[in-house]
Amino acid sequence: MDILVSVADLKVSNQTEHVLVTHALGSCIGVAIYDPQARVGGLLHFMLPDSSLDPGRALENPCMFADTGIPRLFRECYNLGAKKYRLQVKVAGGSQVLGGQEHFQIGRRNYAAMRKIFLKNNVLIDNEDVGGCKARTLFLELASGRTWVKTTSQEIIQL
Amino acid sequence: MSLIPQILRSLKNLPPFPMVAQRALLLVNKAEVSIQELVDVVKFDPAITANILRIANSAYFGLRREIHSLNQALLLLGTQELLKIIIASGATRLFGNAAPGYFAEQQGLWRHSVSCALMADLLARELTLAEGNLCFTAGILHDIGKVVLSLFVDQKFAQIMEVVEVQGEPFHKAEKIVLGVDHAEIGGEMARIWDFPDRLRQVIKHHHLNHPESLGDEMVLLIYLADLLVLMFGQNLGREGLAYAAYPEVLNRFNLKERDLEKFLLHFGSLWDDAQVFFGLLGNDHGLQCAHRG
Repeated sequence: MDILVSVADLKVSNQTEHVLVTHALGSCIGVAIYDPQARVGGLLHFMLPDSSLDPGRALENPCMFADTGIPRLFRECYNLGAKKYRLQVKVAGGSQVLGGQEHFQIGRRNYAAMRKIFLKNNVLIDNEDVGGCKARTLFLELASGRTWVKTTSQEIIQL
Repeated sequence: MSLIPQILRSLKNLPPFPMVAQRALLLVNKAEVSIQELVDVVKFDPAITANILRIANSAYFGLRREIHSLNQALLLLGTQELLKIIIASGATRLFGNAAPGYFAEQQGLWRHSVSCALMADLLARELTLAEGNLCFTAGILHDIGKVVLSLFVDQKFAQIMEVVEVQGEPFHKAEKIVLGVDHAEIGGEMARIWDFPDRLRQVIKHHHLNHPESLGDEMVLLIYLADLLVLMFGQNLGREGLAYAAYPEVLNRFNLKERDLEKFLLHFGSLWDDAQVFFGLLGNDHGLQCAHRG
């Protein structure tokens, strides 16, 4: 059963029949984490790099931003029994429009903010499909931990 | 081989632009519009009153009391807001068919057009544009060229994408290279056939800034920016993804920083949830189902 993760949203699960899905990532980023032993996984779809843009909104919905959404994703998975050292981390999204080297860089800034948070917390990314100008849908299958991306041109990429 | 003759031939079979939207277009930006003029517009499409009430009562407008009549809607929302609703409802007929060249989903083009209209409306308010009232309408109609070009793009999609990927050209330029014409030009041609106001036709034709003059036209720049921001937001993205060009000139013109763009996206994110009723206008059952697809 597909469990939909919408924009600025996260879902966690330990139900093996669940597939977590987030549709059509543009410059947003999807973060999928999975503990194969506990069979616990979570998927976050964050939109912007930094909650200092609007701290009020971040309180209301932490999933909007990388710096508030990512810690919450991990915490909620720990609550279901996941252990940090076992987590597999896969990310997708962060697309850019063409030719924006200095401008229209929200995708790249999202990615940089996420990397910074991971680095600070000793989290490694196992696999990623980021950047470029593709639109991606990200899936995480709870039964197996299999994570894959489908682009709008119907290409499938296993992560 | 250019497909221009075939494409132009398909314009000959263009259906008429929906009468109710056509009449409403003429009232946008008019200083004073009487209730009688609005009644005269709406009478061309009896189903539209139901849509007007549904949207007026939706979370998007956040009114405290329920609206039961056109008169009440006019009093509480004002003429220009009401015209936006009428044009959006009237335009649905253009978007009834899938546009497989651009969107894998049946309602993709409609949903993109609505998103762009909502974003354009937001930007027009934030940037206090003189022609602000026309921006929502221009957003809804900016991609009408895709309705006609879709089948041709679908046939040549691999070839067009190859130009994008190998030569790094934006998608609309690749359309021009492969098909001989792009969706903005065809849209401009449709606007001419349908006798749209000149400003609207210019915006549709130039919304990818493919003409040097368009860099000086604030409404064209605003629709271009709205389109780009909607692509970044994601969701109803087309098969071409974000393959459109970034022109930093637009930021200078409106004196915007990157951080402002983030604020627009943030603002749009909350408004988008409340605006699902607009997406649902295209076929109720399917629309509601799609509204939850995020």
